[in-house]
Amino acid sequence: MQKPLQSTLLQVAISDLDLNPGPFCMSFNFSLEQLKNSIERFGVLNAPYVIKDSESRYTVVTGYRRLLALRELGWPEVVCHVLPSSIPPLEALLLNLYDNIVHRKMNEIEKAMVLVRLNRFVKQDALIKEFMPMLGIPANKQNLDIFLQVPKLEEQIRISIATQRISLRVAGVMMTLDSGDRLKVNELFTGLKLSFNQQWEAIQWIVEIASREGRLPKEILEDDAVMDIVNNSEMSNPIKSKTIVKILRKRRFPSVVKAENAFKKGVSRLSLPQGLKIIPPPFFEGKKYRLEIGFSQGEELKEKVESLFHLPGLEHITDFWKDTN
Amino acid sequence: MQEVKIRRVLIEKGAENDSLTKRILKRLPGAAREAVDPHETALPQGSEEMDKESLRLMNFKGEFLKPCPGTKRYICCGYQILNVGINCPMDCSYCFLQSYMNQPSLRIYTNLQQELEMIGDYIDKEQDKIFRIGTGEFTDSLALDDLAGWTEFLLPFFSHRKNCILELKTKASSVQSLLKSRFREGIVVAWSLNTPHIIKQEEYRTAPLEERILAARKCQKEGFLLAFHFDPLIHSSKWQEGLDETVDLLDKYIDPKSVIWISLGSFRYMPSLKWAIKRRFPRTEIFNGEFVTGLDGKFRYFKPIRVDMYSTVATRLKQWHNDLGIYLCMESADVWEQSLGRAPHSPHDLSTFLDNRVRKLVGKRREPNGL
Repeated sequence: MQKPLQSTLLQVAISDLDLNPGPFCMSFNFSLEQLKNSIERFGVLNAPYVIKDSESRYTVVTGYRRLLALRELGWPEVVCHVLPSSIPPLEALLLNLYDNIVHRKMNEIEKAMVLVRLNRFVKQDALIKEFMPMLGIPANKQNLDIFLQVPKLEEQIRISIATQRISLRVAGVMMTLDSGDRLKVNELFTGLKLSFNQQWEAIQWIVEIASREGRLPKEILEDDAVMDIVNNSEMSNPIKSKTIVKILRKRRFPSVVKAENAFKKGVSRLSLPQGLKIIPPPFFEGKKYRLEIGFSQGEELKEKVESLFHLPGLEHITDFWKDTN
Repeated sequence: MQEVKIRRVLIEKGAENDSLTKRILKRLPGAAREAVDPHETALPQGSEEMDKESLRLMNFKGEFLKPCPGTKRYICCGYQILNVGINCPMDCSYCFLQSYMNQPSLRIYTNLQQELEMIGDYIDKEQDKIFRIGTGEFTDSLALDDLAGWTEFLLPFFSHRKNCILELKTKASSVQSLLKSRFREGIVVAWSLNTPHIIKQEEYRTAPLEERILAARKCQKEGFLLAFHFDPLIHSSKWQEGLDETVDLLDKYIDPKSVIWISLGSFRYMPSLKWAIKRRFPRTEIFNGEFVTGLDGKFRYFKPIRVDMYSTVATRLKQWHNDLGIYLCMESADVWEQSLGRAPHSPHDLSTFLDNRVRKLVGKRREPNGL
């Protein structure tokens, strides 16, 4: 059994505490208002843990937010558990981790802070197998790499991630971009509130269009076609997002989009009865087309099949998608 | 090709007494040695995940000779893979091993020699079948040959068997060990080729194009059959010019009459590979093309682009010589038809086509008065 933690309860002056985010801190983008209300009404319910360093200053192990709230409330001092300075840093880190995960939900940046700090002491294998599941993160190397890099991103982007306006997967791609480029992407995605799926498609296409055309990603977003949509006051954000994703796709996959349009045009010439659809093989990779008939009663199905049977030009259906001229 | 740097040899329990292990260790006097358990990953902290500077000597527990797994719904050539090792000292950005391998370091299977007899029995039992066997699927066939000496024992082993050929696929230019061998019959030396731009930008630590072709010329002069693989073809704005340059060099140095086959394949990848590549080669341009999801779940170029690439390369190659045994690797019948004007109806048809190339070019050599 683990030895109980040795600590001494002492009255510590707030001014003696180092309240910069220290080596055990795992808090990011939080509000202190509720906590301040609670403290004002009931005081500090759980004493924070701190370590006294050699200069008689205290490093915060647990209770970082409580201590910040106290400072804002103007409290001069607080009772803290003072840990011996000999406590191994990993022990102190784990103490704060367990203290946090039992009573609150961490945002993605906070989880990243935990992993970055643990990475100094723990092998990556253990991070993946033990700590990622503990933090509720799908445990694999790819995710770990992203989490370890995320804290290096600009604060605006970290806030977007913490508030779930930018997906972590997208952040993984943003890390490969220069600062100016990713800030531009962040601005567009969060400004228009692109869904995570839209973000994922868009970021990849932006990067690849830039690489294909020898331009910067931000230049792709500053193009007239995109800016006209962004600045269009008649359009709602969801429509703007959809349209921009469409523009990017057309630019990223010109041949595919051309083929899709040619196919649509060819099928439209057939004047199919309502509720009938010809579905091409995905990306025209296979050879078989499918016919979909929507109906509610057998009688309706019969009517549709009959009208289809007499439809002129059906026998001339061909690979319309190849007709891109 | 850059010199192979092995800093550390990991010797797995069970492999320490194999003669291949002893031979390799003799050739690496300066490398640190570590005995390791077969289950121990032994990736040193901070080292690159593929760990191409460590060589692991180990016993292979699987089947040494296995049919190429192919890919569902595309036509495979019926090749047999001889597993001699996995991973390679070269570092091509597009290499599928980056997501396929879940273990680091170069790996050589030191129990290969002990298993050869069984492989021989298997091949000898099926005299009506032609075995097209290659060692270049999971590693480069020649890049580690100075160490492993594969050619010393594989060439005599396969050369005297009438129903098989051994294809050594490489991007290296060092062929001394090969040329030292007196065995030629049924041995095909094959080079992966690409445009000079792709070789420079994406195929790190490999031999430059001209060196590869000059090495091929040497082998051809020494009586080896040749093959070439334009795989993966990578689409970019200037790919055609690059391709012309490559075929011009073939035309300049190689006699096309003893080329047994040339395969064409375009870049394709499993979704997980993209992440692995982007991480190791952030500046790569190989994903710039128009990729769509293929019938097997891999990403491939949109079909008209593949057709255009294949037909362009095939036309250019046919101008060089009209009997090169050109075939497509892992493609559908309609892509075959549209790009080459002919299509195998099944993998069996493609196998027969390639077997016939073996009969035509290797069989002739085996006649008493042959070349």
